[in-house]
Amino acid sequence: MKKKVWALLLTAALTLAALTGCGGTSAPSDSGGGTSSDGTYKAALLIAGTLGDKSFWDSANEGLAALKAELGDAFDYKVEQMGGGAADQANYEPTILDYCDSGEYDLIITGSFTMVDALTSAVEQFPDQKFILFDEAYDFEANGNPDNLYNILFKQNEVSYLVGAEAALMSQTGAICFLGGMAGKVINDFLVGYIQGAKDANPDIKVAVSMVGNYEDSAKGKDLSLAMYNAGADCGFNVAGSAGMGLLEAAKETGKLAFGVDSDQASLLPDYAPYIPTSALKNVGNALYIALKQDIAGELAYGTQAYFGFSEGGVNLVKDAHYEEMVPEEIRTAVDDLEAKISAGEIEVYSSSTMSTEEIETLKASVALQ
Amino acid sequence: MLRLFFSPDFVIAILRATTPILFATLAAGVAAKAGICNMALEGIMLFSALFGVMFSHMTGSWLIALLLTCVCGGVIGLILAFFILNLKTDEILAAIAINLTATGGTVLLLLAFSGDRGSSTFSTVSAPAVGGVNVMTALALLMVAVMHLFLYKTPLGLQIRSVGENKNSAESVGIKSIRIQYIALILSGILCACGGYFLSGGYMNSFTKNMQSGRGFIALAASEMGANTPIGGFAVAMLFGIAQAVGNQLQLTSIPVELIQMIPYATTLIGLAVFSYIVRKRKEKLAKG
Repeated sequence: MKKKVWALLLTAALTLAALTGCGGTSAPSDSGGGTSSDGTYKAALLIAGTLGDKSFWDSANEGLAALKAELGDAFDYKVEQMGGGAADQANYEPTILDYCDSGEYDLIITGSFTMVDALTSAVEQFPDQKFILFDEAYDFEANGNPDNLYNILFKQNEVSYLVGAEAALMSQTGAICFLGGMAGKVINDFLVGYIQGAKDANPDIKVAVSMVGNYEDSAKGKDLSLAMYNAGADCGFNVAGSAGMGLLEAAKETGKLAFGVDSDQASLLPDYAPYIPTSALKNVGNALYIALKQDIAGELAYGTQAYFGFSEGGVNLVKDAHYEEMVPEEIRTAVDDLEAKISAGEIEVYSSSTMSTEEIETLKASVALQ
Repeated sequence: MLRLFFSPDFVIAILRATTPILFATLAAGVAAKAGICNMALEGIMLFSALFGVMFSHMTGSWLIALLLTCVCGGVIGLILAFFILNLKTDEILAAIAINLTATGGTVLLLLAFSGDRGSSTFSTVSAPAVGGVNVMTALALLMVAVMHLFLYKTPLGLQIRSVGENKNSAESVGIKSIRIQYIALILSGILCACGGYFLSGGYMNSFTKNMQSGRGFIALAASEMGANTPIGGFAVAMLFGIAQAVGNQLQLTSIPVELIQMIPYATTLIGLAVFSYIVRKRKEKLAKG
């Protein structure tokens, strides 16, 4: 008997453990009735994580909320938080298929690379259902060119170009650094933009580059960053998920500067704000807002990929009072000029999607410290 | 390039990288000496990293935070012991349960505590550093000597080793083996908690999710390679610390990063190969008499 009770308790504890990471898959934020046939345009946002990340997913949610505020009854949306843990990933495919099966939604929106496999099977099984995938390139050709998916990508290289230029202009030592997570496509896109911006601002700039190898080992991120700062760099940029926290701590400890990413890290981390001039943001919400308005008007080009950069309002630098306080006016003006040039197409920023590995290595070598 | 490796910063970087692994290695060692493979180090470390920042935020003292974290680490060790020894759960499964609970549980606890998701943003007090070397590093080095004396020069240490060698013969001379294994696992939890505490309270000054990043497993390998003795474990943990720090410095050179990131794993593989070769030779020698 006693043993049974313990077995039950243990099972309960394990179940709890499995559920803790996912923030409750059964907690929809908004579930209005009605179907797509009653004139209301309905969208579902499937989040491979949880709201409250003060970045990516929150931004997506805000974009839909803004559209709802504007269109009122003509638009409705539902948010499904699926959790971002390893154990949650098994739920992605059943969840997205459930949503397709219900037939209630004009559009199903999801994002990030963890969703691609689940999305691919949904796109194939429900050719009449419309989908949007953001922030991960969808391989249209390999999947038979589906015409029910619209793929939103961000020109992180453009905003990274500005960060690189700004870092180079603010550097006293003539050396800056970059802490990446893993040398994948998106991180390399950040990297090549960063190096190009830095070189355009100061042709003699040196750029130290380190990769953590994952997005979680913040202590290793800190060690790598300290090594780069100790080697002479005095401005850095973190694009390494939570491991990037290591760069911010290293900057604080050595009194150097560090640029933030994905969310306004200066306002999020007040203790570190004096070392964070600004942060590079992907404006997911704005991109979704634009795409959905097009879709409601029946003009969204399904079956294609769209890149959102400065001119499309897809990326931006945080420019608030804190930024103006930390960055001298002439540098801010120079950065604004560069932004205008990128928007106007006068500067073409390098992109990892069109560069070979050798070209990226050559670019890195051209600014190497040693 | 050489000046990358001959600076005080580099020595401090080695010690910093070694410290959490060393604590966990000692933790693995004392459990292994009592005949239990403590695979839960990873989870205990993660929990301790979170408890460390929470307690130091609440109390404003790094020392009190460290002590409270150690108590929590001991309690997790106790829970693990209860599952393994009283409920006869498989020791690997019980450890996996603790590790999984830690992964999700720490994020949940942090959210409940401060509303932060994944990374702590509140102020904490970290263990101080003297001349660049953190006091936790000094404590880790001290614990090598303490654990050596404990295991080899005290009656309790002898009892732990005899239970690990042969439970039945230990019991035949009146040693209560379950009690001894409980003590070993609680000690293991406390030592591991020190390593977890240092991760977020000295190495870093904040908690980020899954920040232990495999250090518990590396420690398990380090302890095994060091024949589960404190001094052997120390030598291997140091080797890992050096491999890690060398890798970090090498990223400043133009050597491809993929090669550099192999270094700690290649070190493990080569180390294990050397270790098993030595063990085989020793066995062959014994067999020959």
